[in-house]
Order: sequence, then C-alpha cells, then structure tokens
Amino acid sequence: MSMVQLLQTNAPATPAKPRPRIRLLPYLLSLPALLVCVAILVPFVTAAVYSLQRYRLNLPYLRGFIGAGNYIDFLSDPAFWNTFRISITYTALTVVLELLLGLGIALLLRRPTRFHNAVSIALLLPLMTAPAIAALMWKLMTNPSFGILSYLVSLFGVTDFKWASDPSSALFTVVLVDVWVYTPFIMILLLAGLRSLPRQPFEAAALDGVPASFVFFRITLPMLAPYIITASLFRLLDSIQQFDIIYAMTQGGPGDRLMVFQVQAYLEFFQYTNVGRSAALLMILWLITNILSNIFIKNWLRLRARAHGHA
Amino acid sequence: MEHSSLAGRIFRGAALTLILLFFMFPIVWIFLMSFQTNEQILRIPPRILFEPTLSNYEALISGQLRTAAGNLQISFMRNLFNSVVLSSAAVLLALLLGVPAAYAFARFKFKLGETIAFTLLSFRFAPPLLVLLPLSLYYQELGLNDTYFGIVWVYQLIALPLILWIVRGYFEDISPDIEHAYRLAGHSWREAFTHIAVPLAGPGIAAAGLLSFIFCWNNFVFALILASADKQPVTVGALAFVTASGIQYGQIAAAIVLSVTPTLLLALYAQRYLVEGLSLGAVKG
Amino acid sequence: MARLEIKSVSKTFGAARPADGLSLAVEPGEIVAVFGPSGSGKTVLLRMIAGMFEPDDGDILVGGRSVIGAPPERRGIGMAFQNFALFPHMTARDNIASGLRAKGGSDVAGRVAAISRLLKIEHVLGHAPRELSNGQKQRTALARALVGNPDVLLLDDPLRNVDAKLRYEMRLELPNLLRRGAAAVLYVTQDYREAMAIADRIAVLIDGRLAQVATPADIYAQPASVAVARLFGDPTINLAEVTPVAEHGALSAVIAGAKMRLGAGDGAAPGPCWLGVRPEDLAISSVSGEDAIPARILAITPMHEKAVLLLRLSDGTEWLAALPPDAPLGAADDAVFVRFAPEAAMLFDRATGLRIGPSHRLKAA
Repeated sequence: MSMVQLLQTNAPATPAKPRPRIRLLPYLLSLPALLVCVAILVPFVTAAVYSLQRYRLNLPYLRGFIGAGNYIDFLSDPAFWNTFRISITYTALTVVLELLLGLGIALLLRRPTRFHNAVSIALLLPLMTAPAIAALMWKLMTNPSFGILSYLVSLFGVTDFKWASDPSSALFTVVLVDVWVYTPFIMILLLAGLRSLPRQPFEAAALDGVPASFVFFRITLPMLAPYIITASLFRLLDSIQQFDIIYAMTQGGPGDRLMVFQVQAYLEFFQYTNVGRSAALLMILWLITNILSNIFIKNWLRLRARAHGHA
Repeated sequence: MEHSSLAGRIFRGAALTLILLFFMFPIVWIFLMSFQTNEQILRIPPRILFEPTLSNYEALISGQLRTAAGNLQISFMRNLFNSVVLSSAAVLLALLLGVPAAYAFARFKFKLGETIAFTLLSFRFAPPLLVLLPLSLYYQELGLNDTYFGIVWVYQLIALPLILWIVRGYFEDISPDIEHAYRLAGHSWREAFTHIAVPLAGPGIAAAGLLSFIFCWNNFVFALILASADKQPVTVGALAFVTASGIQYGQIAAAIVLSVTPTLLLALYAQRYLVEGLSLGAVKG
Repeated sequence: MARLEIKSVSKTFGAARPADGLSLAVEPGEIVAVFGPSGSGKTVLLRMIAGMFEPDDGDILVGGRSVIGAPPERRGIGMAFQNFALFPHMTARDNIASGLRAKGGSDVAGRVAAISRLLKIEHVLGHAPRELSNGQKQRTALARALVGNPDVLLLDDPLRNVDAKLRYEMRLELPNLLRRGAAAVLYVTQDYREAMAIADRIAVLIDGRLAQVATPADIYAQPASVAVARLFGDPTINLAEVTPVAEHGALSAVIAGAKMRLGAGDGAAPGPCWLGVRPEDLAISSVSGEDAIPARILAITPMHEKAVLLLRLSDGTEWLAALPPDAPLGAADDAVFVRFAPEAAMLFDRATGLRIGPSHRLKAA
C-alpha cells in the first residue's frame, strides 16, 4: 500500500471541502417565463417614461420631458374627472350588483342536487362568452327597430327607450351586460366556497333551533368571507379596467358618457395620438389596480394554501 | 335549510326560473335569430315560431353577402380560422414554456422563481393597454406588428399566468417521494418529469390548457391593437362585421353563434375544472 | 456487496441542524436501525444518502466510493418510503419492474415474479395502487426496493402506516427478506421494539447526533446516556436524583429515605447523578426493611404479559414497576416496599447525562 493510499484510508473524515453546487436546473426551466416577464416589464417601464413626456405621434418634434406635466394637467381637466367618476361608478355598480346576485344564486343552488348542478353549469355559458361578443348580442337585442328587449319594454308602455344610445340609459345598459357576463363568476366561486364549508356549525345551529337569519349573518357569511373577498376583488380589478363591453357597445359614447379609463386611454392614443397623456392615464389606473391587487394576492394566497392542503 | 315551507319552495322555484330566463334568454334568442331572414327578424311583434333558414350561415361560409346594394365580400371565415390558429398556438407555446417553469416553481424554492410567478400574477391584473400601447410601438420597429407570432406572443400574458399557477398547484400536490422513488429506480430527472410529474399533473395541465384556450379565444383588446383585418380573430372580426354589413342582422347573429360555439362547448366539456381555473387555482370545485 | 460508510456528515436547514457530524458504517448484509424521536434527523440522513439533497459537509461512500454529487439514479440505492410513494398511474407489476427496465436488465418478468412470490403479492400484481390495501401497498413498495438487489437498502419507517397485526408479521419476516441480497441496510424507525426486533445494530440519533451505536442487547443493558435509556423500554426507565456515597469500595445512595446499594460505577463516588432502574427490575413486597423504599400503589394497569404499577415513593417521586401478571400485586392505595438488585441500578452523570460505567447488570433484555 502506498503512502498516499494509506493516508487516504486513514483520513478521519473528508475535510470540509466546499460544495458550490449551483443548481442551474430551476433557472433553466424558468428561463422562458422570465423572458415573458421581461417582455411585460420593458413596455411597462416604457409607458412610465412616456407618461412623463410630451409625446404626440403626429407632432414628433415637440417630444420632450415634462416631468409630472401630464399628471398635473389632469387635475384641472374635466374630461379626466369625468373618466374617473364614470370608472368608479361603473365599478361600484357592477361589483355590488354581481356580488348580491351571485351570492343569492349560490345560496339557492347550495344543495348539490342534479338539477342545481345543471343550473350552475348552464349559468357558466354567459361567463364563457367573449365579453365583446356579449356586448354585440345585447346590441342586437336592444336595437330600437327590432330588438326583443325594446319590444318587451314597449309592452309596458315605455315606447322610446334607447338603451345604450341614450346618455341617460347608456350606463345602465353596459352595467346590465357586465352583470349578465360576470355574475356567474361570483356565483361559481361562492358556490364552491359554500359547498366546502364544514357542516358541523350548521348542524349544531339547526339542533339548537337558531333562527335562519342568525345562521346566515353569524355563521355563513363570516365563514364565506375569504371567498367573497377574493371573488369581489377579482371583479373589482377587472371592472375598473373594463374595455371590451363598453368599446364594443358604444366606444365610450354617447358623447363621453361611458369614457372609462382604458377606453379614454385607447382613444387618446389612436385618435388623438397623444402617447404621453394616454400613458399617464394608464399609469394612474395601474396605481389603483396595483394597490387593489396587492390586497387581492394576500387573500388569494390564503385561499390557495387552503385548497392545496398546506396552510 | 333541508325542509322549507311551501311558500319558500314557490319562492325558490320562481327565483330560479327568473335567473335561468335572464342568463339563458340572450343565448337562445340570438341562436334563433341566426336561423331567420331579415324580414322575419324585423317583424313586429317577434314570433317564436318561424320557418328556419340556413341562408345566414351559407352566406358567411361562402363569404358572399347579398345586400340590397349588391354583393359584399366578407372574410368572417378567415377570422374564425385566425381565432383557431392564434388560440391554439398561444396555448401550445404557453404549455411548452409554462409547464417546466411551473414544475421548477413547485419543486425548487428559489427566489427568482417566486419573483417571476408573482410578477406574472400581478400583471394579470394590470391594465392590458399599459403594456400593449408601448408594445405596439416596439412591434412596429421590430416588424412584429400584424404577425401571427407577435399576437401569439402577447397572448402569453393571458395564458402563461393561468398555466403557471394552476399547474404549479397540481405539481405541489404530487408527493416528491414518488419522483424520488422513480429516480432511485434508475431514471434521470428528465424521465421523472415526463413519466411521473407530467402524467400525474395531467388533469391540471389539460384544464389549464383548455381554459387558456377559452380566454385567448375570448380576448378582444390584444388583437384590436396589434392585428389588421387579415390577422384578426372573431372577437374583433365580429365588431368589424357589424360595422361593415350594417343591417344584415341574421348574418350578424350567425357570426355571433359561430364565434361563441367553440368556447361554450369547451366550457361544458371542462366545467369540472372551471372553478379552479377561474380562481387561478385558489378554489377547488 | 458494498459497504455503506457515512463520514462526519453535517447538514443545516436554517436554524435546524438535523445532521451534526454523523459517522456510521454499515457492512454488507448487516441491518442497522436508525432510531430516534421524531425530528431527530433520521429522514434527513436517509435522504442525503439517497441523493435527494447533499450534505453541507462530510462524505458518504458506497463500496468505498464517494457518492457525493452523483445523481440518485447512479448511487446503487434501493429505498422504501414511509408513505409508500408508489407510482399511482402504474400497476403493482410496473411499479416493481420500473427499476429493472430502466437498467435494461434481463428476465424482468421472472425477477418480478420471484420477489412477488416472496412477498406474497403475486395475486395483486395487475392492480393499480389505489386498489391495494395498505399492507399490499407496503409489500409492493418493499418489492420495488428489493428487486434490483441494490448495494444499499434504505427503509424509511416502512411499517409506520400499516395496521398492528401486519406490523407484527412483518417484523418477523423482514430480517430474512432484507438479508437476502446482502445489501447494507439502514432501517429508520420510531419504534424501539421494531428496531430491536429487526436490526443487528441500532444507531440512536438524538438532535442530529449519534448518541450510541450498539447491538440491541447492549443498548438496553448499557445505554450510553440517560436520554438513550429513556428511549428504550416500555414503561420507561425510572429515574431519581441521587448523590451516591462510597463506602468500603461500594456505592450506595439514599432514595426516599432508604439507603440502596448500587452496583454501578467503579467504587469512587461520582458526584450528583441520575439513578435509573428499569421497571421490570423492581420488586414489590409488603415486608419492610432497610434496603426497601417505602411507597404506595396509586394504580395498577394489567397488560396481559405484565402488570404495570404506578407507585409514589415516600418522597413524592412517581415510579413505575412492571411485574409478571401472576405476581402478588396488592391493590391500589396499599403501602408497599420497593427493592432492586444493586446490579440493576444505572448511574448517569447529572451534568452530561452520560452513563457512569462499567455496568455489572446481568439481566439482559
């Protein structure tokens, strides 16, 4: 046995040799997803930069840095405040209506009978219809000359109801379409939540003869709260950015009656070619949604951990 | 709750009837309309019973629209074809990119992974125009404007977060020991991934794929900004069609029916997974 | 035929240190049980050997060759998991055959049939895992680990999730099964009886360190420390705080007023100690004496092969005695006197917990 071998076999323990095992695999696997992230973040940062510039596509020589100029202009701009007000009103109306209606339907369908399951599946169909197409469907149904809905309201003596073409009823009409498309979303989430609730509290309450209203407000609602919050925030985030339904229905009109954030930004960009203003408008919208989505993600993670059994 | 009074049952029955009427009526009505001629549609009062005609569909399929003012060329079939190509390609790409990444995020706890996953999630809720408008300027410089690839790439914004988060949940639900056992039996990690992890997460991958397809198909704003007529999917095409065809209401209804039928059928087929997909994996149905 | 050698292996996870300089060698054909309370690092050790993660420090050798850095599939290791970890989408047959097929071995069907016959699962080979009972799942998992004749066999508490009857049967069957292929076997368990029944040697793991590695009989009779002594035996060992005194070359200590002779130690007074006496080494009688500790019976639990008495010594300490069921037991609340042979007493240093040897304890378990 050579000296070297002897030394090796008698070595008490391998000395602390460094093991720089950089695990490349996870990074390699997520590289494509990282690329997509970059493809999002680059235009996002670009938008942020544009929002600080005077930048009109039709007047390129005027382009220059103006700091918060675009934002400051908004403060005294009635068009901006109109957009702000319409967006908030639209969001509040749709979320509240959809939440109440969705919760009601979920409660009606709570028992998992075959009929209830069939109804809940049927109600998914509006949700799976493209919102832009849904707007077209309602446009056909509210057509003043042959629309079935126009005909139906005329039976009740309302002969000249103009739906989306009249400033006084335009908001009502698009909210109606939004409710038609998205109420099933709230319904299906709350239904899944309701059916996953433990039974014991309800059985105990039934045994004790607790009144139904007490059960609903003190047991059902609190236990359902995480589902209600997640579903509402989902809708809140989508609703405040609504574009498809409104654009397909009226393109923001009549006049500026339905000029919500994204429609306004779209028109600023393509009609007025004012990139800076459009970007600033979207940055404000992003700020609002970002605050909301941070709250949302926290809630959503809790629900997700529960669904996957590792709380 | 189990036993309610007669009044309660009548109330519930009436409420459910009203709900079904409100949510189903538009679909049924447009469906009926698509089999009517313009004269039948314009009749007042409207009739439930009518002589159905396939002429609207024939016109759409042949691409020849006969109007009072003469023949009009329409390319709605082209839109339908675009929708199929764009949505399928987007979902395939998203699966190719997303499934390995979802596996990495589920199996290895590493900071970059969490950052990517949450960035994609938070941009799922950011205003799409915020990214799209600057992107359209970049696309013009890169020559990606109005290309299938350019549109498929931005569709990743819809499909990738969905696939990443749903499939990740499914991977997390597989005991790592099953993969370890397979490795110890003499297989590389790649074999463990393709023969153990992917088949076991199969239902989740299928569900996420189907849902991404539906969401890509239903998307409107991406193609509105990035595609011109010959690359537009049905959502944008239908709107253009309404503007172009004017008062050909029967054909509009038929176009709507053709646009929504694929997604509605897929939704019925995948309904078991919809809850999970719609909540990005946070609620199991 | 390969030896498994673990050399000064350490691993840290955040604040936890589940392996702290572990060294252990397992000969081919030898079964070593790794036993310890939950969270002591047993599973971490197995997983480092299997290559699911690498130690921060130290080396692991199979057949004299370091396997550090080698992927799990190239370490020559078979493993059975506590939760079985069967491939849910494959039949029992394909589960067992997966390793043979991966290595491109010949006569796959014959070898699967042979191991299945040995484990008595031939009739369920066509079933999917979800159609198997827990016992069949466990046997399938064992067959899968054994079929490739691995150099090293790792078993992670394989009897944890099966019912009591099956666990008893398997305890009898396993030693022969595991020795068949002359693999070096590391068997993790949380049940000291299982460790004693199956293993040639037991490695006691406490807080990431090996407290003792010895044969089952030695561990029971000569535990290295008070912690090891407390882990083996049911009921657990009785302890009393004593400060022994040396007289005429022999030790004695006062327990609850009685002066008891101790056989442990080398005759010199060792300072403050824990005195340990196994419950089955206590004798109970109604006759008082200078060599007897006065006590009162608090409760009697008959357990078929023995009866367990809960006693309160006159200083308030509670001890347990395990007696043959036919011994005169007395009744609850009886006053009794407790004796034990000097050789039965073990002494442990109160500061370090280490046993003060040599022991002359004759009655081995």
